[in-house]
Amino acid sequence: MRAIETCGLAKTVGIDRELFTGLSLTVTPGELVAITGESGVGKSTLLNMLAGLDDADAGEIRIEGVALGPLNDETRTKLRRERIGFVFQAFHILPYLTLEQNVALPLALISPDSAAAKAQAGVVLAEVGLGDRGRDYARDLSGGELQRVAIARALVHRPAVILADEPTGNLDPETAGRVLDLLARAVKSRGAAAVIVTHSAATAAVADRVLMLTARGLTPIDG
Amino acid sequence: MAEAGLLRSRLALAWLVAGEWRWHPGRFAATAVAIAVGVALGFAVHLVNGSALASFEQAVTGVNGAADLQVRARSPLGFDERLYPRVATAPGVADASPVVRLSAKAGRARFELLGLDVIRAAAVTPSLVGARSSGPDTGSDDVFAGDALFLSRTALAATGARVGERLRVLANRRAVSLLVAGTLPGVPDGQAIGAMDIAGAQWSFGKLGRLDRLDLKLDDRTAADTALVRLLGAEAVVATGETEARQGDALSRAYRVNLDMLALVALLTGGFLVFSAQSLSVTRRLRAFALVRTLGLPKRGIIAAVALEGAIIGVVGAAIGLAVGYTMAVAALRLFGGDLGGGYFAGGTARVVFQPLAAGAFFALGLAAALLGSILPARAAARAAPAAALKNAGDVLDPRAPVPWRPALLLLLGGGVAALLPAINGLPVFGFTAMALLLAGGVVGVPWLVRRLLSPWQDRDLGTAPRLLALRHVHGAPGQAAIALCGIVASTALMIAMATMVTSFRGAVDSWLGQVLSADLYMRADGGDLDPAAQQRIAATPGIARAAFSRQLPLTIVPDRPPVILIARPVSSNAGDPSLVLLDKAPVPARTTPVWVSEPAAWLYGWSPGSDVALPIGGSRRFRVAGIWRDYARQQGAIVIRDLDYARLTGDKLRDEAAITVAPGFQTDVVRRSLMARLPPGVAVTEPATLRRFALRLFDRSFAITYVLEAVAILVGLAGVAATMSAQTIARSKEFGMLRHLGLTRRQITEMLATEGALLGLIGAVAGVALGALLGQVLIHVINPQSFNWTMATRWPFGTMVGVTAALVGAATMTAMLAGRRATASDAVAAVREDW
Amino acid sequence: MRAVLAAVAVAGIAAAPPYPVVRPGIRLSFPVDHGAHPAFRTEWWYVTGWLKGADGRDVGFQVTFFRVNPHAGANNPSRFAPHQVIFAHAALSDPALGRILHAERAARTGFGLAGAATGTAAVGLNGWTFRRLSDGRFASRVSGREFSLDLRFRPTQPPLAQGENGYSRKGPKPEQASYYYSVPHLSVAGTVARAGKAERMTGEAWLDREWSSDYLAPDASGWDWTGLNLDDGGALMAFRIRRKGGGVLWAGGSYRRPDGQVIRLAPGDVTFTPKATWRSARTGALYPVAQMLSVRLPGGVRRFPLQPMFSDQEVDARAAGQPVYWEGAVRTITGRGYLELTGYAADLKL
Repeated sequence: MRAIETCGLAKTVGIDRELFTGLSLTVTPGELVAITGESGVGKSTLLNMLAGLDDADAGEIRIEGVALGPLNDETRTKLRRERIGFVFQAFHILPYLTLEQNVALPLALISPDSAAAKAQAGVVLAEVGLGDRGRDYARDLSGGELQRVAIARALVHRPAVILADEPTGNLDPETAGRVLDLLARAVKSRGAAAVIVTHSAATAAVADRVLMLTARGLTPIDG
Repeated sequence: MAEAGLLRSRLALAWLVAGEWRWHPGRFAATAVAIAVGVALGFAVHLVNGSALASFEQAVTGVNGAADLQVRARSPLGFDERLYPRVATAPGVADASPVVRLSAKAGRARFELLGLDVIRAAAVTPSLVGARSSGPDTGSDDVFAGDALFLSRTALAATGARVGERLRVLANRRAVSLLVAGTLPGVPDGQAIGAMDIAGAQWSFGKLGRLDRLDLKLDDRTAADTALVRLLGAEAVVATGETEARQGDALSRAYRVNLDMLALVALLTGGFLVFSAQSLSVTRRLRAFALVRTLGLPKRGIIAAVALEGAIIGVVGAAIGLAVGYTMAVAALRLFGGDLGGGYFAGGTARVVFQPLAAGAFFALGLAAALLGSILPARAAARAAPAAALKNAGDVLDPRAPVPWRPALLLLLGGGVAALLPAINGLPVFGFTAMALLLAGGVVGVPWLVRRLLSPWQDRDLGTAPRLLALRHVHGAPGQAAIALCGIVASTALMIAMATMVTSFRGAVDSWLGQVLSADLYMRADGGDLDPAAQQRIAATPGIARAAFSRQLPLTIVPDRPPVILIARPVSSNAGDPSLVLLDKAPVPARTTPVWVSEPAAWLYGWSPGSDVALPIGGSRRFRVAGIWRDYARQQGAIVIRDLDYARLTGDKLRDEAAITVAPGFQTDVVRRSLMARLPPGVAVTEPATLRRFALRLFDRSFAITYVLEAVAILVGLAGVAATMSAQTIARSKEFGMLRHLGLTRRQITEMLATEGALLGLIGAVAGVALGALLGQVLIHVINPQSFNWTMATRWPFGTMVGVTAALVGAATMTAMLAGRRATASDAVAAVREDW
Repeated sequence: MRAVLAAVAVAGIAAAPPYPVVRPGIRLSFPVDHGAHPAFRTEWWYVTGWLKGADGRDVGFQVTFFRVNPHAGANNPSRFAPHQVIFAHAALSDPALGRILHAERAARTGFGLAGAATGTAAVGLNGWTFRRLSDGRFASRVSGREFSLDLRFRPTQPPLAQGENGYSRKGPKPEQASYYYSVPHLSVAGTVARAGKAERMTGEAWLDREWSSDYLAPDASGWDWTGLNLDDGGALMAFRIRRKGGGVLWAGGSYRRPDGQVIRLAPGDVTFTPKATWRSARTGALYPVAQMLSVRLPGGVRRFPLQPMFSDQEVDARAAGQPVYWEGAVRTITGRGYLELTGYAADLKL
């Protein structure tokens, strides 16, 4: 089954600014797709549409075969909670929760079992190399470390789809490389489908496919 | 499924709430305290009022001996005793106990002396039957003896008499030696009551042929009610213990409701404070909420989280409030007495009675205020699109966004309409609704007011960059200003409203006293103590040009309203008298007897000039209302009848007050002393200045508690402004960091913040004072007439208005500057880089 | 003799001189002496009797009006001045119930609410009445919470003057006496209502009339009294006054034979011997409810065993501030009547 499948997507913002039409994208489990494009072309909008946070004007999005279009907000929220992981450019680690809690947050949204959530968070934190920092707070960490926490949070509930919006935008190139490696390895090892919106060549380097977003849709770069 | 989702997310919700709590414990505590103060004030005031009323009712039951029903005289002149057999044999009446009621003195002790038929009383009101002491010295008394007196424990202690001794008892101007034959063990402590044989009481104290009361035992209430209506003439009415309690209740109810309302204002201000704090906290956490929304928390999850915080604040605050309120009630009863200085429940000591129902109500109100203050901002936050909120670096202002004005206008209009509606059951329910609506409208209208006030300054050259920035910020984010100001606008408005009302009231009373107290000396004796001989003696005192004697009698018009005061006095012409301040008058045709009714009486009984009223004086007769006079002294209403008419109708020649004009060439003080020498002790002679001082002192005492409540409301409001503004300022540290990068000095940023603070304070004060002036008009023209039945002209408390404005501007400026210093103290570069 | 009552309020009145003294040598005259004698301190109209309803079951009843002159407020012009006070008791003894139903009232005279007329019997108290009708019958109407009586009494025999033509001694001193006559064998008809159900009843009753100023000797503790309507048309009244601390202070009575001849009984002619006692759980008082009455008649001593209709015929009027006594329907072999036992709960004051 395809993890992500879109067909004939179109989006217009404002009164008549058409972002793109006829956009189709298919991502299979274990595949990491990078999307690049000029500023304002609608990369983030596309990502939000994939997450059910924004609606398409035309076309269809299926996550694991489920069409998002007919779903109401409640059901989309549930789908997002259980099947999608997010990584942001700004790390969005809640300052008043411990790192362990931050990572466990998606699990805490699904089940009230605190011990299981924290145990799982510990495992994933160890996986991103922060196994001993679970009780720390965000202010104790560097940017790279924060983004690794964010990746851990995106992985902790074993989502089928991982969406990342400029995950290395706030990091220096060296750190960015390490974070990307980590993300790519995690996606592969879990068999998740990942879509990363990025400007950086480094990101493109770890991707299975690199697509360029233009008003006419997605076109492959290099192959 | 959706519910299950929210329930399954409860761990995440708990983390969010607990995290916020750990991060900002002070904020949580402060909002809880705001709720606690409101609940405490409301509960304390309610408890004190309730306790006072309970002790009053207990006193009433004691004197009445718990009869099923009473037939009571409409005035102290009593009713014809021949009514007794007719009532006693009426259908439904099982037994009737006739009572003569006298207010008696023995030495300095006062007690209520009841003349009873011991056999009837034993069947109807056994608690009023005396127990004879069975000591060896008191062997051969007779319960039928005309001079045997039985005293309650309190009366016994007050008179210092002992069983077996004789006691000189003074009542109805007669002194009689009575033998203290025993006690009244059935009368509760605290009540000074004496009982003697009814025949002896009638004969010894000049009440032959008259009764004051019939206590009834019924076997069929319905039959009795029907029969009694037909039997009773003009002189008597049917009453129960309830009706007497209702009388006490009716007199003080408006005052108590007003106090309750003031206390609720404190709670309302607390609610606004929760709103401010939670709005801020929600705004600050907008991105956190967006994140958890993105991670899969439904919209209602956000509301649930914030509501949960509100609930915790509410529960903690309300619980503390109840405890503090109870303690305050105990203290207040000790300090001020049961009426909180209102003068409604004289005598009698009140004990605080815990009222579980009221406690529950105030707890619920506190919780509701906290919940509402939390849910409103949470709903706004939940509506924000999570993706946009995550992306944006903060809440993005759009200075061009129009500020809605319709909701405010609608609320204000609604308030205006409510103010025009009449009272319900003697309570200004719609008046208070109007105040609430106007208040809400005023607060909701603050953003619009901010825009309106600042727009003209937008294009002016303001000299410095900081000032320009300040103006633009306040103008661009009027919503933030409103959030900071809502509490203080509300409390300022209410304080100004109360101040306007009290100032107007005090001024009206003061000038009214000046008009009414036109004689040189005033004399007051106990009920009916000045017989014609004493009156002649007074009038013949050298130096007295004129002595106008008057008689005051309570007169029951409707059983469950307190009796109006009938004043028999000289009235110089049918068009009135200089010392009767007439508000309205009507001609008096020949062959009609004129009366002049006070403004409260006219309101209470719907009397208008020129109409005819039936009054139970000298049989039932009709009188023409010749005018309505201003009176701030007798809330229960008063009726003036010309003394000649009164004497002709009742034959009562006794008087108890005199207004004395001193002849030219005599010194008032000298006349006063020679007058005192001619009078028995116990008669007070005072000069108008003393009376006026006394009246105003009473007035101030009864409003003292309202000042305290207002001050608390203002303090809570100011605390709210300080907390909100400092939080808002600290939230803008990134903006300050950027400004520092641009080259603004710390000083300039402080100046900017000071300007903003001053602007906000000024706007808050303008809004509060304007709203207060409006609310004051509702108090003066709607709530006062509806609850106290008198009107007055507005007098503005300019001093208070200026003072409040200055205090507010000062406090807001200081708070903004202090908060700004903290916000700019941190490293500007770090501030810009900061993620959150 | 009876009386019980009025101890109430009158309790402590010292024997003040202003009351007329009861002396021998009067002539009773009717109907005037059926009416009140207000100058005397105490007076009563006292009816006791047996009734039978349609079902043939017997019940006993008592209707009593007392008049007391407390000698207070004599000069007081108030309409409430307590010149006379009227008390009344009514009781119904039903063996099916096993206890007595009773009601009592009291009032000072005046306002037409309470009074005792002179000239003929007409006593009223808040709706309760005892009066003599123009045809010579007596009528009484009383009602309480639990029962009401509306009865007519037709005399079948002339009044029986007790003592010396109505002068009846109660103690060793001549002034310790009362004026006293009885009307035995009154034929009764009327209505008895209980629990809202009225029942026609007929039977036979005994009227006692007595007025005095100084009734009891100071060392008297109470008395036993009985009035019996005998089946042969005869009537027997006997009493004894007990001394405080034991013994009999005075006794007396009279026996009217069916032929109308009256035999006066002197203190030595009357003996009461307790045969069975009953203790009240309410008051703790121990009453000799069954007695052997022995009367010495010219033909020798005659014994009348007195058996109560049932034991608990105690009247506990303490709630109304009045005394406790036993007033019960009794049977003897040859007749029926009432037995009154006073001063067993506490010494009686009158």
